[in-house]
Amino acid sequence: MIQMFHVTKSYPGDPPTLVDINLDIGKAEFVFLTGPSGAGKSTLLKLMFLAERPTRGQILIAGRNIARLRESGVPYLRRNIGVVFQDFKLLPNRTVAENVGFTLDVIGTDRDEVRERSLKMLRRVGLEHKADVSPLKLSGGEQQRVSLCRALVNDPAILLADEPTGNLDPALTVEMMDLLNDVNARGTTVVVATHDSSLIGRYQKRTLRLEKGTVVADEKGAKAALLMALES
Amino acid sequence: MSVVSNTSYFIRTALGSMWRSPFVHIIAIASLALALVGYGVARLASDQLEALIRSLGSDVEFTVYLADDAAADQVEVLRAALESRTHGVATVVTPAQALGRLSQQLGDDGRALTELNDNPLPSSLELKLPPEGRDPVLLKALATQTRGVAFVTGVDYGEEALERLSMIAKALRWVGLLVFALVFMTAVIIVSATLQLAIFSRREEIEIQKLVGGTDRFVRMPFLIEGVLQGVLAAGFAIASVYGLVRYLESDSGTAIAFLRLNGHFAVDWAHLGAEQLGLGLALGLLGSFVAVRRFLRV
Repeated sequence: MIQMFHVTKSYPGDPPTLVDINLDIGKAEFVFLTGPSGAGKSTLLKLMFLAERPTRGQILIAGRNIARLRESGVPYLRRNIGVVFQDFKLLPNRTVAENVGFTLDVIGTDRDEVRERSLKMLRRVGLEHKADVSPLKLSGGEQQRVSLCRALVNDPAILLADEPTGNLDPALTVEMMDLLNDVNARGTTVVVATHDSSLIGRYQKRTLRLEKGTVVADEKGAKAALLMALES
Repeated sequence: MSVVSNTSYFIRTALGSMWRSPFVHIIAIASLALALVGYGVARLASDQLEALIRSLGSDVEFTVYLADDAAADQVEVLRAALESRTHGVATVVTPAQALGRLSQQLGDDGRALTELNDNPLPSSLELKLPPEGRDPVLLKALATQTRGVAFVTGVDYGEEALERLSMIAKALRWVGLLVFALVFMTAVIIVSATLQLAIFSRREEIEIQKLVGGTDRFVRMPFLIEGVLQGVLAAGFAIASVYGLVRYLESDSGTAIAFLRLNGHFAVDWAHLGAEQLGLGLALGLLGSFVAVRRFLRV
């Protein structure tokens, strides 16, 4: 689903953020992306939803080489990718339901259907009763769940989440992870960037560890959990 | 994808945004309206100036004095030639008519003229010139040519006065054009800056729309609709303001600047001026939005 070949990303005047990244994330796979702050996790995610283009190397998303993708084709590819942003990126002057429905609005979905699907999504995360309030009136955890609803309402093939449990208490963290697992079980490829080692230990998924812009470990299951346990 | 859903979304979004942040939109409409009022006033002033220039030159007359022995058919040929060259109206004034006119002009003193045994005034051709025929260079050439005709004894058309008038008119037109250009350029700068400010406040919304798969066209449409609405509202406001201004100037309280008026009222083609302001408002609103939103589409 997501393939990278010798991908390097650098910004003028700075050392490269990512160096010679090679990875292959399969369909319906669940992958943790971990590593210390500044290791390049967010940049790697940005490359995946085309907010950034690689300086060198090739990236294939759902079989499409993004180097050959014209600027006008980017929106259509992005409609297959749901993103949960670290800073939520919710619009304060829209209601919670309107924020969720944004993803459906851009593809010209009928107004009533947008509302119906947004409410259904909010129900799944237990926030249906907050549908018509401003996101400003929600707690950090609630905002994060709204952000997840927006990413999922369109049933994307890929879900990218940047620190999705960063603002959640342990109970809500479990709830969020269950949601992500559920989405993954339905066939969506899920990539979660996190530096919460307990999360990786508990869920035992494939884990890519980044350090100074390179992948230093790519382990699965118990081995990944052990690795994290040793380092933390 | 449904066109109907999209169109309804664009209109809802545009109206919603105007409703949610009225202050920014009022500023944008006000600056657009100000630009359009500036345009209307400049247009009005330039029309009045043009009318003033035309009225100043309305007395220009090209008089050709004829020898006593000039044959009537030859005079007719000259008359027709002068008319076709200048698009003016030439009439033959006989010595008797000229004397009668002079006597009338002199009033009581004119009675002395009746004592004359001989009429000393020559017959002449009087050519009334339309505004476009008042070019001093052309008239000078025409005068030289006419003087060369055998039965013409002299030509008079107030050469110096006409040249001075023409220079003043030319200078006034340049000043008008310069003022108009300055007003217009200032308006464009203010309008685009205001619209950029309005759109800057929504860069986050644009960014999210782009990140969830909105095309440039999709992101841009509500802004363009807003631009159109702002243009129309601003044009309506500007037309009303200019109309109010003209009515004020025409009223008694506007007499302080009465010298601007001609024949007591402004000759304004409201339909034309209104259409121009509306068109300009739409163009400025649309173009301003298009340029302003383009900066934020790169996500």
